[in-house]
Amino acid sequence: MENKNVNKNGENEEFDLAQMEEETAQMLRLRYLNRDNAVFERTKGGFVSLKIGDEFYPRVGVYASFPFADPEKYISIREATEKAKEIGIIMDLNADVDAETKKMLKEQMAVRYFTPVIKKINSIKDEYGFAYWDVETSNGRCKFTIRMNSSSVVYLTDTRLLITDLDENRFEIPDFTKLTAKELKKLDLFL
Amino acid sequence: MELNIRLPESVRAKVKLRENEDMHYCSPYDISTSGCKQELCYLAVTNLRLLRIDCGGIADEIEIKDIETVKCEPQVGQGILVVKRRDSDCEELFARFTMKHVTRIAYMARGLINLRDGVNKKIISTELEKTCPICGTPLRGRSKCPKCDGGQGVIIKFIKLCGAYKLQLFLICLCMIMISSMQLVRPKIQQLFIDNCLREGKGGMNAIFLFAAAMIITTFLSIVFDSTNYWLCNRMGTSLSKDVRTMVYDKLQKLSMSYITDRRPGALMNRMTRDTMEISGFMQEAFSGMFSCIVTMVAAVIVMFGISVELTLLSVVFMPVALGLSVMFRRNIHRRFHMQWVKSDKTNSGLQDVLSGMRIVKSFGTEEQEARNFERLTGEFCVIQRRNEIFWASFYPLLTFIMSMGVYAITYLGGSEVLGGTLTLGRLNQLIGYAWILYGPLEWMTFLPRRITQLITSLERIYDILDEEPAIKDGEEPVSKQITGEVELRNVRFGYHSHTPVLEGISLKVKPGEMIGLVGASGTGKSTLINLLMRLYDVDDGEIVIDGTDLNDLKVAEYHSQLGIVLQENFLFAGTIYNNLRFSKPDATYEEIIHAAKLANAHDFIMKTPDGYNTYIGEHGYSLSGGERQRLSIARAVLNNPKILILDEATSNLDTESEYLIQKALERLREGCTTFAIAHRLSTLKDADRLVVIDGHNIAEIGTHNELMEKKGIYYGLVSAQLEMQKIE
Repeated sequence: MENKNVNKNGENEEFDLAQMEEETAQMLRLRYLNRDNAVFERTKGGFVSLKIGDEFYPRVGVYASFPFADPEKYISIREATEKAKEIGIIMDLNADVDAETKKMLKEQMAVRYFTPVIKKINSIKDEYGFAYWDVETSNGRCKFTIRMNSSSVVYLTDTRLLITDLDENRFEIPDFTKLTAKELKKLDLFL
Repeated sequence: MELNIRLPESVRAKVKLRENEDMHYCSPYDISTSGCKQELCYLAVTNLRLLRIDCGGIADEIEIKDIETVKCEPQVGQGILVVKRRDSDCEELFARFTMKHVTRIAYMARGLINLRDGVNKKIISTELEKTCPICGTPLRGRSKCPKCDGGQGVIIKFIKLCGAYKLQLFLICLCMIMISSMQLVRPKIQQLFIDNCLREGKGGMNAIFLFAAAMIITTFLSIVFDSTNYWLCNRMGTSLSKDVRTMVYDKLQKLSMSYITDRRPGALMNRMTRDTMEISGFMQEAFSGMFSCIVTMVAAVIVMFGISVELTLLSVVFMPVALGLSVMFRRNIHRRFHMQWVKSDKTNSGLQDVLSGMRIVKSFGTEEQEARNFERLTGEFCVIQRRNEIFWASFYPLLTFIMSMGVYAITYLGGSEVLGGTLTLGRLNQLIGYAWILYGPLEWMTFLPRRITQLITSLERIYDILDEEPAIKDGEEPVSKQITGEVELRNVRFGYHSHTPVLEGISLKVKPGEMIGLVGASGTGKSTLINLLMRLYDVDDGEIVIDGTDLNDLKVAEYHSQLGIVLQENFLFAGTIYNNLRFSKPDATYEEIIHAAKLANAHDFIMKTPDGYNTYIGEHGYSLSGGERQRLSIARAVLNNPKILILDEATSNLDTESEYLIQKALERLREGCTTFAIAHRLSTLKDADRLVVIDGHNIAEIGTHNELMEKKGIYYGLVSAQLEMQKIE
């Protein structure tokens, strides 16, 4: 973008404030994407590409603004680069895009977020500062180890727990009050 | 971290490699494309192909020569391997895996690129696994798994270490035997007293006096031996931990920066302090009682058998029960008190959070809300605490009661035998005495396994440091030479974690006495380049040549002594100015020191301090301004008469006057020195012979100020931006 700025002294400067300000303003703008202005398509490689008018992105990242509270609202579509610059936001996956697009974007979110939901607690054994969990999750049976400190099990809400293991894998218990009394007793130590 | 995990036989049989194809890297991956957890799936890199292997054999393959890019991208709670083939215009999701494998696969991707480019350097990882790849045990900063590798190793090393204290160990053993005998002899004396003296009035007042004296003497002796034993163990424990602490400290000094930076500073501090304390703690609390207890218990059982086989068996029968109960209760107690600890921790951190954010709380007017929050936290803590105290008060006596069941059994059955005339009163009393000896330390003994495990864990962590070979050390025949300051970088590549490169393909030739300004946005690797020049880290690939000799062949300590380093935040040690200045050259004369201080424009302000060069600086000492500290560190650097001078943001964060003084000092200093300078304020680099702009991991532009300004590239942009900012100021 050639953006010439003539300052008070009448000197020409190619690098200039205006361009920086332009960029800052762009950062502030919320650009909403919906079925009218954006075309998402599956790529051969298992990702999703995006076409908005003349702009084409061969691969985009699909990020949730509120991954726990509301994972289908305010979905940020970002460039698949290190900087992950925002391209636009889909306000509501259920209202703003068609069912097929929603499905492919949900698939991409599964590639970004991996937080198995704990369905059943088989056992929790604590020993010398570590707790060994054996659980059934939405993604299959899993055994993992966590450190016995407060940051390993955090409350997302009053009843929702996020558990982080030694390798920084994450597990979720959406509502621990729904567990059986026996399971709750095993979980006691962390509540 | 092992980067070439061996495939299990069942999988290996199904993987057909080509002729002259070797496995170079291999790692498990554990999420299927549909998101399910799976096992026995592997990603492998051979010299020819990238393979995805599942239980059916090779599921997918790409020829390495067809790969344009390969990246391991960490996502949230998982990682993905993304490949782009040369003949395709889109990236491809090759595999998904949990965080457990992210680091390994990132290294693998790096290794793949090396293989493709024909770089003959195998990627190795110094990073430690968090959990054992075989059994999943947390490794807690150890490089070997205690379960899979056997934990006896460190114990043997520890015993060897104790070998230096043979005399003390002998004395301790002697004390322990004496303590046991005193404990065992007392019930025997009582038995004799009752049976031979009291019963049927056999003995007179003399005998009573004798027995009383014997009791006093045994009690007195056992006190003496007890305290001697405790004192000896204590002494040995503290000396041992002192020895280990010194060894660890010496080793830490020798280890390279990468070892230190790979670990959190707190973790190293803990090894120096807490883990070494664990040794003395163990010696005092566990070791001192351990053997005497076991000796006493075994001896007591033997003596009891001599008195009455049935009664002894009866009391021994209860031991496993009592032991089991004690272990069970201990778990419960541990759980309860851990919970109390968690709650108190939560309350504390909640409190700390609010107190440190008090300004925010007040300015947003949310005091009431925070008060309610705290009330809830402290309320929860209170409930747990109350529950635990009730438990403690009611269950603990009950436990003691249950644990002494054996004693009650002996009292009952033994009592009836005494009435029946088959056992004397004295012997019954003796048996009860021994039974107490048996059951007394049970509770204490249940803690022993825990103490021993703690000791082993601490020892493992300590030996993990002691057994570490420093990554940076002198080559086999280190070259010792006086350098002139000619520096050449040849295709240097480096990353703190070798899977993420910070610098790539850096080539630069610097003549002696030249000043090089390093420019670039923060995080581009300027300081990294300087770390490499200082040989705090070894390059991953390529070489750094000083005066025609590879840096790796130079004697490390001697090379370091010819460098002068001034950083942004200069560390001065607690001590006098004099001691700080001669840090780099302990044998410097007064004249040399004053000369160096003058060169650094520091002499005048030093003379104004109350005690001149002997002024104490550091905590509670004379406080220096930023500029003064900087000038001291320049004097420290110049004292050594360095041939290569490194200035990393040496004049930022200073007021204009100090900066001017320092600039002047540096100008003098640079004469005859090859200088590498990093500065954000580009005006500081106006004297540089050449400027090197680092961007995107490598050298983007190189040339003099004028050349680069004409080129209108990155440097031009940076200069213009700074001019603009100054106008705004």
